[in-house]
Order: sequence, then structure tokens, then C-alpha cells
Amino acid sequence: MALYALRKLVFFIGAVFVASVAIFLLIRAAGGNVAAIVLGKDATADAINALATAYGLDRPLPVQYFDWILGMLQGDLGQSFRTKEAVADLVVGRLSVSIPLALSGLLLGLIIAIPVGTYAARNVGKPSGAVLALISQIGIAIPVFWAGILLSVLFGVRLGWLPTGGWVDWSDDWVGSIRSLVLPVLSLGLIMAAVLIRYVRSAVLDVMNQDYVRTARAVGMTRTQALLQVGLRNAALPIVTIVGLQIAELIGGTVIIEMVFSLPGLSRMILANVAAREVIVVQSTVMLIIVFVIFVNFVVDLLYGILDPRIRNAA
Amino acid sequence: MTSRNAIEVRDLVVGNGDVTAVRGVSFTIPQGGRMGLVGESGSGKSMTALALMGLLPMGWSTHGSVLHDGVDLVTQSDKALSSRRGRTISMVFQDPLSSLNPVRRVGDQISWVIRKHMGVDKKTAEQQTIELITQMKLPRPEQLVRAYPHEISGGQRQRIMIAMALACYPQLIIADEPTTALDVTVQKQVLRLLNGAAHDRGSALLMITHDLPIIAAMCDTVAVMYAGRIVEMGPVAEVFRNPRHHYTRGLLDSQPTMDNIALDGTSRLVSIPGMVPPLHDLPTGCAFNPRCAVATDRCRAEMPELSGDTLKSACWHPVPNSSEVAAQ
Amino acid sequence: MTITAPAVSVPKRRRRLDLNASLVVGVVLTIGFLAIAIISFFWLPSNPNIPNIKARMMPPFSPNHWLGTDGLGRDIVAQLMVGARTSILVGAGGASIALVLGTITGLVAAAYGKFADEAISRGADILLSIPGMVTALVLAATMGSGAFTTILALSAFFTPSFTRVIRSAAMGVLQEDFITSAKLYGRGRLFILARHVIPNIAGVMIVQFTLYFAAGILTEAGLSYLGVGVTRPSISWGMMLNEAQQTVGISSPLAIWPGLAIVLVVLGLNLLGDGLRDVLDPKLKRRSA
Repeated sequence: MALYALRKLVFFIGAVFVASVAIFLLIRAAGGNVAAIVLGKDATADAINALATAYGLDRPLPVQYFDWILGMLQGDLGQSFRTKEAVADLVVGRLSVSIPLALSGLLLGLIIAIPVGTYAARNVGKPSGAVLALISQIGIAIPVFWAGILLSVLFGVRLGWLPTGGWVDWSDDWVGSIRSLVLPVLSLGLIMAAVLIRYVRSAVLDVMNQDYVRTARAVGMTRTQALLQVGLRNAALPIVTIVGLQIAELIGGTVIIEMVFSLPGLSRMILANVAAREVIVVQSTVMLIIVFVIFVNFVVDLLYGILDPRIRNAA
Repeated sequence: MTSRNAIEVRDLVVGNGDVTAVRGVSFTIPQGGRMGLVGESGSGKSMTALALMGLLPMGWSTHGSVLHDGVDLVTQSDKALSSRRGRTISMVFQDPLSSLNPVRRVGDQISWVIRKHMGVDKKTAEQQTIELITQMKLPRPEQLVRAYPHEISGGQRQRIMIAMALACYPQLIIADEPTTALDVTVQKQVLRLLNGAAHDRGSALLMITHDLPIIAAMCDTVAVMYAGRIVEMGPVAEVFRNPRHHYTRGLLDSQPTMDNIALDGTSRLVSIPGMVPPLHDLPTGCAFNPRCAVATDRCRAEMPELSGDTLKSACWHPVPNSSEVAAQ
Repeated sequence: MTITAPAVSVPKRRRRLDLNASLVVGVVLTIGFLAIAIISFFWLPSNPNIPNIKARMMPPFSPNHWLGTDGLGRDIVAQLMVGARTSILVGAGGASIALVLGTITGLVAAAYGKFADEAISRGADILLSIPGMVTALVLAATMGSGAFTTILALSAFFTPSFTRVIRSAAMGVLQEDFITSAKLYGRGRLFILARHVIPNIAGVMIVQFTLYFAAGILTEAGLSYLGVGVTRPSISWGMMLNEAQQTVGISSPLAIWPGLAIVLVVLGLNLLGDGLRDVLDPKLKRRSA
């Protein structure tokens, strides 16, 4: 296990490195002169050069890259060109919105998808299984922001039960914060569930046909016991993998849902800075998100090693 | 209710609505008896075994009756069956790697069976597991219980499967091609172990295989299946010496033995012409007629029934008995 | 003991729901979608970009405006029709580039040795963990938004999925006996890939393309909703939803039609992809049933 964990740690560090180079190059290669982007089309050459010099943007790319990375490692995410605010300060406040939203959405998706997907697998070929498969197909086709719009029309506008948008800070009124999060989490969770149901269903279906589930029944488990005690434990392996892969999707969904419900989360900040062409802010914030996703995948890999003795030993 | 038999199967039919894999099979295995069930793949022998256990895949259903331990297993609920499976009737499968739960230690898998059926506490179950593993002639039982299935050899895995099947002294053990997936060198050891352990416990054995020498060595009676029906059944010695059905004759002739393998190339090893008919497109009359050398119009029209005294066969034109041949 | 052959009558099991139902529905929805996009080049109810103050906020089923007009009096049907073009351009464009890049990298990983495989597979793993939406935001920040940027972003984060799928499909084919015999005949690696491997994984490629065409439409709609996707005079269904929310509020029927269009088209393509998979890859048939 230690060897396995070490290998995964090496991969984690490698992945963060490659991703950081990719983001850095993407921004420099696609955008060209950062100072010119920041200042916009009407900027004079002098102004551009002055900004470039002031922020060290005229140095060779490798130097700029290592400067950025070393800063990141020490918690210095750079600062905004216009407001001079530190990116780290900008980010921290936003996380109290984005993290609860993303995690609750994922959790809700799993809470729905695992039982429903298992049920669908057990009823494959029957009308109830087919209906669930169809609902899941439709759910996958619904854009998460449209789900958000429909839910807020229903529960916010028509029924008036919950706010259609806006945010109250946790410290002011935590009940209000939760009320603001209910519809966004519901939108995110339902769409996540639609995607996950399909994977859970096929993982359970696959496991149900395995010889070891039959053996479990042959030595005295009922069909249901074998499915729950032996089947689901084995189906957990592919499901965990899929959850890891879905984290990237989850982040994308969170970005959009924050916009639908006007939540002051990370994505509103990124979008505002995209519009303002604050290249450094975007670069650092995006890198933070990517490190988070890669880290979650690292944790998923470790979990996989714990769940599956074959993988643990193979490394 | 006959309590002297380990199992009594009557008119067993297994189908899924589209095809019928087992088409009216009847046989009886007395307590402690050993029966072999032979046939090519697709003959319905594995489906018969799964039907007895109540472990058919989704969509398949069983008709007829299977009397075992005073009840008809066909009418039992899954819950009622689950209290018997592993206790009075158990099964050893073909591939021990895919048949053991990959994420649980083998010791835990065995002791679960003991705790479930013997009602003993965890500690006793673990002790009994170690004893069982020792009986299975496996090395270092204390360490082996902590191993995962992928960490031990194929032969060891199958011994673990056998230990699970035998843990609760069942009246009947069904072994479905238990050595096909194993190396030739360990096949004989595993069979000997299975045979001995079943004998020690007084368990009856239903041995499913296409390997005739195994049947000859281990069983008292043999049933030959073809296209979902038993075409010949009787004491092993008699069936193998004087088969009456042309299919059995063909099976025996296609077995390589020291007699019929001639190293000079003049081998008289023969094969049965044609192939096993698909279940959804069975010929009328005797299912074997398209491949049979002596088939007549009657064979193509009417299905023969099993008949005979000790040796029963289902054929309109049985192979002449060697004693009859001698008399002519 | 004689046995009587029982009348073989096992109750008819309910048949598996016909898999091709998904193919049929998928084909119908997809053809309808493509047809609308093609028609939009020859005929539109009115110009979808020219405001008409007199005809603002017409309700659905108005004369000349079947689904009504938006806050600036622009016809909804016309906008939806032109939006279908954008969906195809961006969705199919992104999926096509990803298909080409993914096929090249996938085949190289499968056929050019352990080192190439390791490098490409690990690279794909890393890229897969980068959220696509975020890639698109970065590109929008540096290149400015628009259809071209969106296509580029989509292809960037679809490619690793294609690489993975095509690599494993190609590896399956490369293990077949006929490949070994082709090698024995002295056929070169490129010849084998072009003549044997690609025809055999064409089904996988088509299915993958269809499913990512759909994913591309969803993502494009999301980006345009955020305002970093396509911009006028191009029209996107996601953009229409954004405008509806900004100008007239979400409870207006304007927030219904574009969403419905997205759902139908994406559902159609996904059903088509699943149906094709069942037809083209019989091995998967049982499991996805």
C-alpha cells in the first residue's frame, strides 16, 4: 500500500506540474502579450511597456513561470493589476459559497444515484427499469443552468418558497445562506444524479453477473443480500473511479449554477476577471481549481487502493 | 417423501421463454451416492445444476420437481432456498478465481458460511475455518486465511471453494467442471480431495464434466445429456462398457485412450460428425438424429423415451449389446 | 423409471425492450435538428438579429411569430433556427477536431510501444482532470470569446477522452490473430493501422463522435449562457437563455424554448450514439440493454 500511495503521490505532483505548465503556456501562447491584453486595444506602446516592466512580464517565460509557481507554493497567488488586491484574499471569501455548493451537489447526486441506479440494474428489462433509464437519459440532456432556471421558476417565482438568487453571508444569517443554497444544490445534484445513475446501473449490472455474486448466493445469501453485501462492495470500485472523473464536470456545473442564482462564488469572480482581462487573477484562480481537482483524483486513487486489494498489491 | 435420497429430480424443465435448455430431466441420487453428468457444452448440464441450486440467471425459470431434504426446491422462495444453500446442498464452480469475492479475505469468506449456517460465534467459526483449511491440505492455514483470492494459486483457490462447499456437511455437493480451469498437474489432487472430503462427510456428489475418465474414476452412476435431455443413464461400468445410445458410443469413441491413439498415425480416434443443435432450432424426434449414422424416419418423427432396467437409454435403434453381438 | 416428456411450456418472459427504439428516436430527433439548421440557410421567418420595437414580447402562437418574440421584438423561431447552426458548428467542430487528435494519439499509444503509451495515457489522465469549463474561461480571457475559441476549448478537453477510448479499442484489435498474420506478411505498422485497425474501430469512433457532439452542444450552451461563448450576430440557445434571464426574467416562456431545443437535440444525439453502439458493437449489447 505504501508503494502504491507513493506512486500515486508522484503522479499527483507530476500532474500538478504538467497542468501548471499547460495553463501558463495556454495563456501566454493564446493571449500573446499579457500587458497588452490587460490594458486593452487603446493602450499606447509606452503604457504597455511600463506595465510589462513593472510586473516583470518582459522577463523570459521560464523565469516568469518559476516566479509564479514559487509564489503559489508560498501562498502568494499574485495580485490584480487594477485593484492591487491579492488574489488569495479575493479567493478565500468566495470559497464559503463555492465549496458547500459543489460538495452538497455531489453528495446529493450520489445519494440519489446509488439506490436508483441499483434499482434500475435489478429491474433491467422490466418497465420500471426502462422508465428509469429514460429519465436518466433525459436528465443527462438537460443543461444544468436550464434545470436551475426551471427550478427557480417553480419554487422561487410560482411557489415563492425559496429565493431565486442572491446570497446572505453565513455569519449574518446561516439559515438564509442555506435557503439560498437549496435550489442551486438541487439543480446541481439532480443533473449529477442523472449522469451517475447510468454509471451506477451499469456497474451494478456488471457486478451482478459476476461469478462471485453467484457463489455468495450458493453459500447462503439471498439475492438481495448478495447484491448489497458482495455486489455493491465490488461495484464501489468503478463508481469511485467515475466520481473522480465527474469532479471536473462538477466544477463546470458549479461555475454555471453560481451564475444562474447570482451567488458570489469563485466563478462569478473568475468571470468578472475574464471580462476585466485580469490575466494573472484568472491564471492563478484556475490553477487553484485544477490543483483541487487533481487532488481529489489523488484521494480517489488512494481510496481505490484501499477498496481493492488487487490494485494495492499490484503496484 | 423419500428421505433416503440426497436428491430426486423429476421432469425438470428449464427455460427463459425463448429457449428451453433442459427439457424434462429426471434422476435420483441416493444418500452418499455419486453421479456423473456428461455432455458437450450446450447440452444443458450446467443449467440443470444451477436449477437444482435455484441459481438460474435472471429471466430463467424452472418447472418439475426437485425433492431434497423433504422439500421441493422448485417451489421454495429465494429466502427459504438461501437457508439451504451451503448447508444441505452446495456447489463448487468451474473457475475459482472469478467465483471468489476478490475484495474479501478467503478466511472471512469461509467463516461467513459457517457462522451463517451453524449459528456459532465468530471465534469458533474462525477456528473451524482453520481446521477446514488444514483438512484441505493447504499449507500454513493461519496465514492463508488472511490472503485475498488473487494472492493464492488456482489449485489453492479451488480448495478454498471446496472448503466453503463442504463447511456445513451438506447432503449433496454439485461440482460443475471443478477442474477445467486448473493446471493438469493439480487437477487430480483437487479431485481426490473433493472425493475424499465428500466421502468423509457422507455427502452425495453430482459431478458435472465432459471428461469421461473422471466419471469412471469417481462415480457409481452416470447420466449422458444431449440437447437438454438425458439420453442414457445407468451404472458407470455398464454405460461405459456397453453403451446403448449412439451418442454415448460416439462420446466414448472420441476419447483418446492408450488403446486408440496409434503413434504411427493410423489412429482410430473418431469424432461425432456435425454439431450440437442450437436450442432454438432443435430437430424433431430424437435430437441426435441429424448426427446419427443409423437414424431412420421414426427417429426423425418421434422422440424416444428413456427405457431399460439398470441401464436406461432413449434410442429407437440401440447399439447392440456386446453379449448380444457375441450370441449372434 | 420412464420419464414422460412434459409439454415444454415455460411462461413467456417479457421480452427485452427493443434496443433499436433508442436508435429510431435518436435518428428522428437528429435528422429533424439537422434539417432545421439546413432550412435556416434558405428560409427564416424574419431576421433574428434586427430588433422590432413594435413587436416586443409577443406571446407564443402570435400571427407571424409562432413562438412569439423576445424583449427586443426578435422572432423566437428564427433565433432557434439560427441557433441550431451554431450548435452544429461548435458541437460537431469541437468533436471533429477531438476525433482527429484523439485518433492520432490513441493509435500512437496503442501501436508505438510502451513508452509512447505511458506518456500519452498519463498526459490524457492529467488533461482529463482539468475542468473543461475552466479551460474555456481561460481561453476566453486571453483570446476573447466567440465560436472559434469555443471550438478550440471543446476540442482541447474532449481530446483526452477520445485518446483513451480509441487507444483501448485499437489495443483490442491489435491483439487479434489477423494482425499477427499481417505482421508475418511483413506489413508495416502504418499499413496495419490504416487498413486493419481503423476500419475495425470505425464503429467506436462514430459512437464516440456522436456522444461528444451532444456534449459539445451542452457545453457551448453553457459557455454562451455565461457570456463567454458565441456572440451576436451568431445566435446560441444558451445565449438566448441568458438574454431571457437578463431582460425579461426567468418566468417568461422565453426561458422555455431554447432549453427545450437543447434537451431534444442532446437527447436525440445521445440516443443515436447508444443505439449505434448496440448495432455496431454487439459485444456491448447485453450490458447496455
